[in-house]
Amino acid sequence: MANEIIEGILEAIRLIFTFDPEVWGIIEVSFRVSLTSTFLAALVALPIGSFIGLRKFKGKRGVTNLINTFMGFPPVVMGLIVYLLLSRNGPFGTLGLLYSTTAMIVAQFLLAVPIITGTAKAAIESVDPALKETVLSLGANERQLWWELIKHSKKSIIAGFLVAFGQAISEVGAVMIVGGNIRWETRTFTTSIVLQTRMGEFGMAIALGVILITIAFIVNYGLTRLQTGAD
Amino acid sequence: MSSRKPLKQLISEHKKTIILALIIIAGGSIGTFFAIDYLNAQNPEKITLATTTSTYDSGLLDFLLPKFTEQTGIQIKVLSVGTGTAIQYGKDGNADVILVHSRSREDDFINASLGVAGVPYGIHRACIMFNDFIIVGHSSNPANLQTGDNITKVMIKLRDAMDTGNMTFYSRGDDSGTHSKEKTLWAEIGIIVETRWVGQPDRYTETGQGMAATLLMTWEDVDAAHEGYTIVDRGTWFSFNETYTSLKILAESIIGEDLLLNPYGVIPVNPVLHPHVKYLSVSRFIGFLTSPYGQALINAYRKNNAVLFHANFGICDVNSSCPTTDDEIAIWTPFQAEFAGLTV
Repeated sequence: MANEIIEGILEAIRLIFTFDPEVWGIIEVSFRVSLTSTFLAALVALPIGSFIGLRKFKGKRGVTNLINTFMGFPPVVMGLIVYLLLSRNGPFGTLGLLYSTTAMIVAQFLLAVPIITGTAKAAIESVDPALKETVLSLGANERQLWWELIKHSKKSIIAGFLVAFGQAISEVGAVMIVGGNIRWETRTFTTSIVLQTRMGEFGMAIALGVILITIAFIVNYGLTRLQTGAD
Repeated sequence: MSSRKPLKQLISEHKKTIILALIIIAGGSIGTFFAIDYLNAQNPEKITLATTTSTYDSGLLDFLLPKFTEQTGIQIKVLSVGTGTAIQYGKDGNADVILVHSRSREDDFINASLGVAGVPYGIHRACIMFNDFIIVGHSSNPANLQTGDNITKVMIKLRDAMDTGNMTFYSRGDDSGTHSKEKTLWAEIGIIVETRWVGQPDRYTETGQGMAATLLMTWEDVDAAHEGYTIVDRGTWFSFNETYTSLKILAESIIGEDLLLNPYGVIPVNPVLHPHVKYLSVSRFIGFLTSPYGQALINAYRKNNAVLFHANFGICDVNSSCPTTDDEIAIWTPFQAEFAGLTV
């Protein structure tokens, strides 16, 4: 088995540098789905999360518990729910979007929203209360205060985004169910690895795994640089 | 540093415009991809085929489908799942056509009285090919299966070895075509697996996974007195026989006996029940599979130098285990004309 790991690493290098169209297609789909869903989720989740973090209101504890629960929502269950919604028999069946990257984005989006909401809320709450008072005493309105707090918790918010992206790109159950692992269309790293393993192509499976880990490392390194440079 | 300053200034002066532009670009590209997915779903020349892992993982479809697309321009999206799931996708209208291997469940799928209000889920099945199942295990063979044993004898020997604790039978347990076949074989000797070895995973293990995982578990179950056996279709076996070298074929079909044969049927989803299915494109696809050209391609496919599937449209005998009806031939013959004269 050790042979297969070494062969897999060599295969990974070969596939990348010969610009293998299938592997690059898989990279494209994986990234398009994960980045789009995380980006859209951030657009929705940042305002909600920071609002909850900023304000005090009745039922806040309940809402917090709900968000925390959904942060650990089993992806495969989300896949099932989105499948049932987009299935031809389901409420959105006429759109015919099951087994498309759109369906995968919807599922990943729904998984990412609670994660980014929860981290944004925690980030805003953890800002020093003294800062809040200072900003207010300088005559800032609520919108300006909100913007200041977001700026000050940039690091934690980026971290939340990273967690959501990491989950999206390494997730397999949901994208398998709603994407269908269709070659050239909805095949991602993870679903492809499942398929290659099933077909006994362990070398190819390991190669894809090596590429995925390498890319994840580069992305995280870049974002961490951005994060530390953001002070 | 000095060269960066004007840029910074430029950015801070036009912050709002830049953010707006970014949002428009992002929104536009996301919207475009959504629109592409939506239009693809409506495109009559893009059909969805739900099929079993054995046809896809063996590489057969990757060999056949490009030749069909080349001839017709019709693209096929393949969902490679178990037979049970593929049939469910067909029932829900999430696939336009299914290619599966479980005769009894195919019969249910096209049976009007089991459909919706007297309308069957699928119509005009065509039998296009078959291969066969084999029973594999370790060469020490504690169940003592012999070449030439008929399948009844094989199943009895397996049962006895399981009951004495000499072996474990690994079952897919996933409602796949292979799982259905395995249950049929046990039923031949009067065993209902659901009740026979309840809570005895050291005798009968349900893996709940695909063929590869099940073969892996069978292969790893090896010690002097107790070893694993499983049933696998020959197509999948040739993907793994060089990996799991200590597993051997211990029982296979003997001439004139069709219980281990494994016929594949292709069935269009009924457009009466699901008006959105692309029936015309599906018909051309089945015309391709049943045409002399398509049948010759199936016979020509090799993996590790082994023939995996035998084309049998229109053939009806015990050795192909697939009774094609006159109705099937009459329905699909006109659609074969498009592929006349093509050669492998």
